[in-house]
Amino acid sequence: MTIAELVAEATAQPVGLSADECLKCNVCTTVCPVARVTDLFPGPKYVGPQAQRFRLGTTLSPGSGGLSVVPSPDRTVDYCSGCGLCTSACPADVKIAEMNNRARAAARSGHRPRFRDWLLGQTDLTGRLGVLAAPLANWSLHNRLIRMLIDRLIRIDRRAPLPRFSRRTLRSRLGRYRRSAWSADAPPPDRAVVYFHGCAANYYEPHVGQAAIDVLERNGFTVIVPPQVCCGLPLISNGLYGQARSRARQNLDVLAGYARAGYRIVGSSTSCTHTLKAEYREMLDIDDADARAVAGATWDICEFLLDLHEQGRLDTRFGTLDRTLPYHAPCQLRSHGIGLPALDLFELVPGLRAIDMDHDCCGIAGTYGLKSEKYDIAMAVGAPLFERIRTSGAGQAACDSETCRWQIASATEANLVHPVEILAEAYAAGDPPNPAPPTRP
Amino acid sequence: MARADVAVVGAGLAGLTAAIHLAQAGARVQVLATGHAATHWAPGGMDVGATPGARSAQEAVDHLARLDGHPYRFLAGGLPAALAWLRSLLDAEGINLVGGLADPLRAIPTAIGSTRLAAILPDGMAAALPPWAPGETLVVCGPAGFREFWPDAIAASLRRGSSWRGQAGPSRVEALTVELPGLAGRHNLSSLDLARSFDDPDWRLLALDTIARAIEGRVTGPGRLALPAVLGLTDHPAVLAAARARLPLAPFEVALVPPSVPGLRLFAALRATLRRHGGRIQVGEAVHGRLGETGRVELRAPAAAREFVLSAGALILATGGIAGGGIVAEQSGGLVETVLGLAVEGPPVGARLLDDPFDPAGHPLESAGIRTDTHLRPVAPGAPDSPLAANVRIAGSLLAGQRYLRERCGDGVAIASGRLAALELLGPGPVGAARAVAAAVGGTAQR
Repeated sequence: MTIAELVAEATAQPVGLSADECLKCNVCTTVCPVARVTDLFPGPKYVGPQAQRFRLGTTLSPGSGGLSVVPSPDRTVDYCSGCGLCTSACPADVKIAEMNNRARAAARSGHRPRFRDWLLGQTDLTGRLGVLAAPLANWSLHNRLIRMLIDRLIRIDRRAPLPRFSRRTLRSRLGRYRRSAWSADAPPPDRAVVYFHGCAANYYEPHVGQAAIDVLERNGFTVIVPPQVCCGLPLISNGLYGQARSRARQNLDVLAGYARAGYRIVGSSTSCTHTLKAEYREMLDIDDADARAVAGATWDICEFLLDLHEQGRLDTRFGTLDRTLPYHAPCQLRSHGIGLPALDLFELVPGLRAIDMDHDCCGIAGTYGLKSEKYDIAMAVGAPLFERIRTSGAGQAACDSETCRWQIASATEANLVHPVEILAEAYAAGDPPNPAPPTRP
Repeated sequence: MARADVAVVGAGLAGLTAAIHLAQAGARVQVLATGHAATHWAPGGMDVGATPGARSAQEAVDHLARLDGHPYRFLAGGLPAALAWLRSLLDAEGINLVGGLADPLRAIPTAIGSTRLAAILPDGMAAALPPWAPGETLVVCGPAGFREFWPDAIAASLRRGSSWRGQAGPSRVEALTVELPGLAGRHNLSSLDLARSFDDPDWRLLALDTIARAIEGRVTGPGRLALPAVLGLTDHPAVLAAARARLPLAPFEVALVPPSVPGLRLFAALRATLRRHGGRIQVGEAVHGRLGETGRVELRAPAAAREFVLSAGALILATGGIAGGGIVAEQSGGLVETVLGLAVEGPPVGARLLDDPFDPAGHPLESAGIRTDTHLRPVAPGAPDSPLAANVRIAGSLLAGQRYLRERCGDGVAIASGRLAALELLGPGPVGAARAVAAAVGGTAQR
């Protein structure tokens, strides 16, 4: 391979090569929530662009056959929670969090994955089994003795917030007409959207999915809910890129047809929508026409509703919700780069006083805070947020990501809701008292 | 597409100064920035000017204001008001700026054992400012295991009279390395780790006690204590009060390599003020934009899968100069302004930029920037009186004609231009009208 070819290949991998832009200014370290609370993680600069030199140095040597990420020279990369705040703060646009994620995956490749990490990646499987045996599963996963055993055996912390399985999936509650794969006889794209519910709304929080569907329908959209699997993010976070690619492929096969036909794909889990938008390309190197079409068509639900509003198309007949509502913007939402659309939408609800908690991270970062060796770190990261929510005196708080909601709810005992649940409630409050009953199951 | 009255690109001192002024006047302001930088890199004082021979900051400003093409030519007049505004803002956030424009420029120690000239500093650093009395001792004290502050090397250099820029230094300089509690065995001890440790009320008492006892055994008589700038991140006023109460010598912080803890405090104070007045700040992606046909500015930032689009009635560009990323040099040698692609005034294409990067006159790239009229509107090269757009203003280090590293005028230009840019947009144009708006803004603040 010639130097020119090496360079061409290098520039096609913006994540790894962006280390070259690093000025070593340590701005990333100032925003890292993990380095803030523990010495086990020295900060994004050290394990990211600094260590990257050694990874790339090895692979740029002549005859290496091109560039690939080799194992991290620093094992502390495992303590990166992947929140992505470093990438946002970097003045030189270095893709620090993405670099760390790849390095972690490379460090694990070639080894059999830890059973715990494998299990945490299988949200489809655990979800299906859990719903089948919901009463038993919920009892055992909230039984102290069993949790201690799980902690000992596979190192999922006994105190970590695990959600409760719903007795029925969201999909089973929906009519058959909603489940079709791509078909040409769907209503036109300006009157229909595709809903990506993700695992959380399907297996644990069908009421969130229902609220999302209700709000979309309220605004005149037919909601199409095609077959779908886990977006793959839990697998990506646990370094299981191969499995994640196969999930991505299954989703793309179904969603790409809609995307090409001009349908927008709306999701209520902000981490799933971010995965569809960005991680298939940035993490999994899936950069074909299907992936690009789906990425371009995907919208986070609050982003979608705010866009409707900016076009003057959002139904704003919200009833009054007279309350103070603490709001936490999840890290994954911030990675979208779309601002904080939920706060803009809350401004449309009379009486609602939403307060941005303005805290970096709740700590959970997907499955990070569930792990025994990281539970205390995750709780320390979120501690100031928990304190702010507790002292706000509000019994309810809003957040766009399910794992953050579970973490905050478990730490504060507040009732955590998705912003779209608030909007559904506000629509219901604005309706004449009699007919349509509220949509909460 | 999001909308704002004014978009400010850049979240350094100039951008935030402008944004806060606008938000205080009730405008809907959106700050966009690629990342954090200027405040996190800077020492955290207020460098308004320091030129050879100038005895006070004001003398340096006056000197610079006479230079052809220097932004102080039209900004110097607004500097006192900008400084007074910033002083009262920071005061409300627990940061007191000590010293003023009329005060003498004093040689203060740096973390490499040299000195630099300063007149206006946050109170954590201010004990370095008063003249050294005969017989005074300077103790340079740092924690063991901290790689960014070496007391022995700093003291050795500061013992040389030539380090003090012709001013009288301390009679004696002592180095002191202390083992602070609980830090032994911590690798990668950073300024942030130390600052956060000092935020802990229990730890700081132990640490200050350790430092105090180490000094008491070694130094008698009057003196001062140089400490690395790590005296608390979120609880700095309390840390400083505790340090003054417990330590036998007057302590002052010495700025370190980035990330700058005093700079982080400054940024936090500005950001909190902006948000309190309803201004928004979004940090993460490089912004580019264009002037729309409708008189609005359209800004775009890459976001996941789609661009984030913001339509604004006006734009303030405060993206920094060549160091801040507001200007980049292309391989051809040409200079490009990164947001609107404005024409950059600077060394011509093909200039030999690497001939002498340490030329005492300053590097040619240092003064590169956007040329504006006196209302901070960008103008084309050679057409100083025809602004390119009525609703665009330039602020901070992006302004052409300053050599902020040599002249140490960066903070002064930032606050004066940030303020003027905001007032220009609030008023119908000329400075006279802007003054009327300034009065109105003051009225809003008092209400």
